[in-house]
Amino acid sequence: MNTNIQLSDWREQALQFERQINQTVIGLQPAVRHIVLAVFARGHVLLEGNVGVGKTTLLRAVAQGLGGDYQRIEGTIDLMPADLIYYTYLNDAGRPCVDPGPLLKHGDTLATFFFNEINRARPQVHALLLRAMAERSINAFNRDYRFPHIQVFADRNRVEKEETFELPAAAKDRFMMEINIDMPRGDTELDELIFNPRFHDTDRLIAEVANSGIYYRLNELAQTVQQHIQTSPKLHAYALSLWKATQRPQQYGVQLTDVEMPQVLMAGASPRGMSYLIRAAKTRAWLESRDHVLPEDLQAVFPVCMTHRLFLNPLYAYRKEQLLPELITGILNQVAAP
Amino acid sequence: MRILLIMVLSLLGCSGSIDQPVSYFNVETPRPFGYVNGDEIPQRIVIETRPGITLQTGSLPAKGSINRWLNLNQITVKQSGRRYQIDLLYQVFYAPLEVKSLTLPGFTVQLNQGEKSIGQNVPAWSFTLSPLRELVARQSEQGEYLRPDSPPPLLANTQAWYGLTASLAIAAPIATYLGYLYGCFPNMTRRTVFKRALRKLAGLSKTDMEQALTVIHHALNSLNGQPLFASRLSDFYRRNPQYLQIKAQLVWFFNYSNRYFFSDGMITVAQDFQQLKNLCEQCRKIERGSR
Repeated sequence: MNTNIQLSDWREQALQFERQINQTVIGLQPAVRHIVLAVFARGHVLLEGNVGVGKTTLLRAVAQGLGGDYQRIEGTIDLMPADLIYYTYLNDAGRPCVDPGPLLKHGDTLATFFFNEINRARPQVHALLLRAMAERSINAFNRDYRFPHIQVFADRNRVEKEETFELPAAAKDRFMMEINIDMPRGDTELDELIFNPRFHDTDRLIAEVANSGIYYRLNELAQTVQQHIQTSPKLHAYALSLWKATQRPQQYGVQLTDVEMPQVLMAGASPRGMSYLIRAAKTRAWLESRDHVLPEDLQAVFPVCMTHRLFLNPLYAYRKEQLLPELITGILNQVAAP
Repeated sequence: MRILLIMVLSLLGCSGSIDQPVSYFNVETPRPFGYVNGDEIPQRIVIETRPGITLQTGSLPAKGSINRWLNLNQITVKQSGRRYQIDLLYQVFYAPLEVKSLTLPGFTVQLNQGEKSIGQNVPAWSFTLSPLRELVARQSEQGEYLRPDSPPPLLANTQAWYGLTASLAIAAPIATYLGYLYGCFPNMTRRTVFKRALRKLAGLSKTDMEQALTVIHHALNSLNGQPLFASRLSDFYRRNPQYLQIKAQLVWFFNYSNRYFFSDGMITVAQDFQQLKNLCEQCRKIERGSR
């Protein structure tokens, strides 16, 4: 019973946090909801979107709202793994010094690590980040550093492809969600964004977000949520069907135009991807004040959790932007529960 | 003296034929009369040669038109050992006004012996050709003097017709049923969705709640064309606006099903089953158009 009260208290805090972000970054409610789910399910997030739509502002607002130590790095083509771990300089006395880099600076209290323009960094950097994300630890200066609270937010813009490195499948798979940030659609919101001076100064806008200070309790909370929210055998069967449908969509009657369905996919979702999906779905059920997961929870997080895990045959890769969303919608439309 | 005579006579017997290249030659022809315009005339030439002598097939007349009124339709050469059998089939296209004598032209068959070539004459052959009708065609009192042949009588096919009709009568319902099973008549199946669901529900008892819910889910899914979830009900109403009148019951059904299938500790009561049945009956009424 105690847990129930605790969970509902936390739910209030989470919803409050969500409302606050929505006031700071307007017109991005679905993306904010997904980020909140990822944060409370302790998953890393990759944001993708056009230039200047508010990806960075959104992530800064989230980091500010959550509290905890925050670090940020810009992806560039000459960024090397060592740049994340240490930096060298000459001090006032003219002596060479080595100081911890952005990853190590806060030690085990590092909370939000924001990697801007991740696809501009080289694969070596992706590899380092991979370990930090999956194992929440890295090895440097002959010892292991642990980051029990680390949450990686990365973003990439989808306009440019020159001088960028496509994220390897393994790196993508470690992100719980890939969230597309689109421009707000409503005219009122667009009008607000361009004419209201409140949105012109990002620093002041971010400073308005109250620090909830919940960050370092998130691990414990996420664990409680995962243990407390129930999944029934019928839901297991539904999740399993969804998973199989990502491997062989044709068996579930999914049809895409001008596509040979048996050849469309090179790889379906991974077991890790499915476990992330269930974690996110449980968190959603908690946010919706339920103690059990419904198919609609899975459906709500399925596109953001799965789109970046499906790899199309090279033959169809050039139509990725069109085919993947169609495939995901097709799977959700065709798999029945119960 | 007698011995000498025998030797001379046998030498005489052997001489002369030794250097003849052809040991047997015969032209077999049919009767030389009674032909009319368009008739075919076969001719067979049989040649037997001495060893080492071969027939030069290029010397035979070519298939096609021989002259203005004569056509060579077919030519076949059969060889068995040193014996050649040449079959020629001529056709005559000549319309004589009275009985007329015509001649199949002769030709020379060439035989090769090493580099030497020997000719064997096939003689010309004469035959008579008769006109088809009198010079002036007359009209008879009954009608045309020239008239076509009577058409051939038809074979009796009543049996076959009966057989075909019977097999079609059997095949058509089978094909229709197969098409129904393969879902070729979506409109028809969509109009009996709840009829079938009701029938299945009737066979269930109050304790089979899971099956009852599944039956209604399947019915709604097949009506919708794809799985129907509570979150997509608004789309469903847009496509099937007549179901808006039982909106409250459908919402109840989805909530109930969600609680039953996905949460623990659900206690079902007998009224729930009755309510499911009511929902299905309402749907059936809408389906029949009586609501």
